[in-house]
Amino acid sequence: MTIFFWIIQLIATPALSPLCIGIIKKIKAKFQNRQGASIVQPYKDIWKLMHKDEVISPDASWIFRSAPYIIFTTTIIVGLSIPLFASFLKNALTGDLLVVAYTFALGTFFLALAGMDTGSAFGGFGSSREATISALAEGGLILSFFAVSVIIGTTNLFTISRAGILLSTSFFLPAMLAFIGFFIILLAETGRFPFDNPATHLELTMIHEAMILEYSGKKLALIEWAAANKFFIFAALGVNLFFPYGIAQSASMGALFIGVAALLIKILGICCIVALIESSMAKLRFFRLPDLLIISFILSAVAIGLSQTL
Amino acid sequence: MNQQNVQQHLPKEKNIKFCDNVAMVEVSASRIEEVVSGLYNNNHLPLKLITATDENGENECFNMWYIFGVPKENAFIVPYIRLQKTTEFPSLTPRIHEAWNYERVIQTFFGLTPVGHPDPKPILLHENWPTDIFPLRKNFAWDTRPKESRGTYAFQKVEGEGIYEIPVGPIHAGIIEPGHFRFSVAGESIVLLEPRLGFTHKGSEKLFETLSLDDKIRLSEKISGDSSFSHSLAFCQALERLSGNTAPKRAEYLRLIYAELERLANHFGDIGAIMLDTGFNFGGAHGARLREMVMRIHERLTGSRFLRGVNTVGGITRDINHEEKEILFIDLSKILKDFSEVIGIAENSASLSNRLKGTGVLSAQIAKDRGVVGVAGKAVGIQHDARIDYPYSAYNEISIGNIPIEHGGDVYARFRIRIEEVHASVKAIHDALDKLPEGNIMASDKDIIFKKNAIAVGIVEGWRGDIVYFIATDSNGRIKRVAPRDPSFLNWPALGDAGFDNVVPDFPLINKSFNLSYSGNDL
Repeated sequence: MTIFFWIIQLIATPALSPLCIGIIKKIKAKFQNRQGASIVQPYKDIWKLMHKDEVISPDASWIFRSAPYIIFTTTIIVGLSIPLFASFLKNALTGDLLVVAYTFALGTFFLALAGMDTGSAFGGFGSSREATISALAEGGLILSFFAVSVIIGTTNLFTISRAGILLSTSFFLPAMLAFIGFFIILLAETGRFPFDNPATHLELTMIHEAMILEYSGKKLALIEWAAANKFFIFAALGVNLFFPYGIAQSASMGALFIGVAALLIKILGICCIVALIESSMAKLRFFRLPDLLIISFILSAVAIGLSQTL
Repeated sequence: MNQQNVQQHLPKEKNIKFCDNVAMVEVSASRIEEVVSGLYNNNHLPLKLITATDENGENECFNMWYIFGVPKENAFIVPYIRLQKTTEFPSLTPRIHEAWNYERVIQTFFGLTPVGHPDPKPILLHENWPTDIFPLRKNFAWDTRPKESRGTYAFQKVEGEGIYEIPVGPIHAGIIEPGHFRFSVAGESIVLLEPRLGFTHKGSEKLFETLSLDDKIRLSEKISGDSSFSHSLAFCQALERLSGNTAPKRAEYLRLIYAELERLANHFGDIGAIMLDTGFNFGGAHGARLREMVMRIHERLTGSRFLRGVNTVGGITRDINHEEKEILFIDLSKILKDFSEVIGIAENSASLSNRLKGTGVLSAQIAKDRGVVGVAGKAVGIQHDARIDYPYSAYNEISIGNIPIEHGGDVYARFRIRIEEVHASVKAIHDALDKLPEGNIMASDKDIIFKKNAIAVGIVEGWRGDIVYFIATDSNGRIKRVAPRDPSFLNWPALGDAGFDNVVPDFPLINKSFNLSYSGNDL
């Protein structure tokens, strides 16, 4: 039976992530009085790219060739390592929040290397910007995780979501502060507003897109898919660590059904918030991004302090 | 025009020849610097164009024309020199910075050397064009294909620790025209930005010499597609000065209406695009929508989304009947209401104003030295507008109010100027429709005969800035030279100054706030 749940865990992330992107795009289109593409368009895009020829620069090394596979694999591993719909599963190997944070960092590292690998100016500054953002985001991410783990007393993600930080209301304030800190990191790490504009065609303003400009065909499909996975994972982490309402605590049919439904609804909520942000504000100027990341860091630090005084 | 008022600018000149509203005066090459810099530096007359004509075949010489406008008089002063048995002329660039690129163009296309020019490298024509073939000389046939040459082009180099170069273009990610930008960057700040253009050079000036009159007008509509109407209007006005086929009053009013509609469409597009480039998607979507509404009005009224085929010598081809007039009133008030709502929301967005304010500041002094015109000029406080300084069409009867100016010189200032101009344009269209006189839209169909050995200047305030057309005829009354000057030609070099010291990710926004024409610059 457990193997069945792990298979679902394995498939869930890559199967659902393009849908999240499709939903965000649809909501944004509606905000702009446009019809917008169907919410399954990202699946079609991945399918289309999978069937296209690739163009690879003769200057590209093995890093450029292997990076998409490495990045995609890291997102699959992390997808397996976090609580999605069930918190009764146990993953002592990779289910630790530090493992999750640094498995992502491994993917980012290879993406940044791949951006510089072909020697194009765009890839170079994309990587430089990505490195700046991720270095600054790392502190906020780890600290917001720690705020939760200090309260619950463990760094295992499954245990945290089982205990449920908000289930005892006395930790409401620190939990909310840490969640806001985490949400800022979510936007930074997944290349959303106000950090990056996933819809832009302007090379000079890009961060994530600039690094992957040289990719085409299957490799581009994998990278786009991995980026969608990353968004899904961050959204799932956010809702399951901070608001683990409805997550299945046992393997009964009823609990599982509620667990899956709760996950979908909560992630839809995150998608709506992200789409709302992207529709209602302008992107921040590049040099103001560190300020926002430092705010995230401070919020989480305050959350840890508060949780210790309670 | 009052001839005395014009003459007072040239107190020492005896042989001033008036050619309608243009005062020509021949000056010897040795005195040209004194005369021109007197007009420019002492009388503060705006320099509109410097160009040359090849008179070989008739007079065996080259003429150099320095065209100055006389605001409020609707007149032009044109000192000129004759270069007989020489291909050298004194460069005015050391005294008048604005002359820099005009003189480079003359050198590249006529093979005349500006003596004393600080950096007379070729412009617009690239390394593959032989440097000893000069396409605007009369002995060069327009359909000659010279042997490909292999020259080199040296970008300005910045050296130092951590400086790297970003080459961008000529092909860009969006559907825009081609142009190359070379950034020298330290970290993220721009140390030097050098635009390199000429990729859309089509030989338009040479074509003007060979095409039939109707095709010449069609060509003028394609000098810069988004300003089709303004370009052809400036050209037709100059032709009308030469032929005397004055457009009837109703046509002049309709020209004003069409010209302002063109301005509306482009300003809406730009206002939206500026917001889109900051990622403010709401504003971007509505800017595009409003532009499209105006484009459809264009199509309904004239059958062309770009108002092409409307202007002709002696009038226009498309009337606005009573029914259409009423619909236009309703459409305009609806567009204005939507626009005001969108701008209301945009002005309330802190994140948007944060991106626009202080970005891409162009200093007023640099703008003045480079002769920056139009929206970019008004944004640093240069109060020039051809509609008021040279009231053509019906602008002497329909007021467009005061020229809006800002002093910030940043993206926000250019954004605000466009908003102000939208309001002024809608009001002007309303007034013109109200007062629209009855009558013909074309001058009686007498033959178009141009004055002999004459010159004429047409000027129109396009949505970017003033568009100037200089036309010269030969002794048979044939057009021997048409020199269009798009505002982009003056404003492109200023883009590099506005980009200096900004971060690279802000450059697309700065570029969009100027939104210059590549085609209009490259000709």
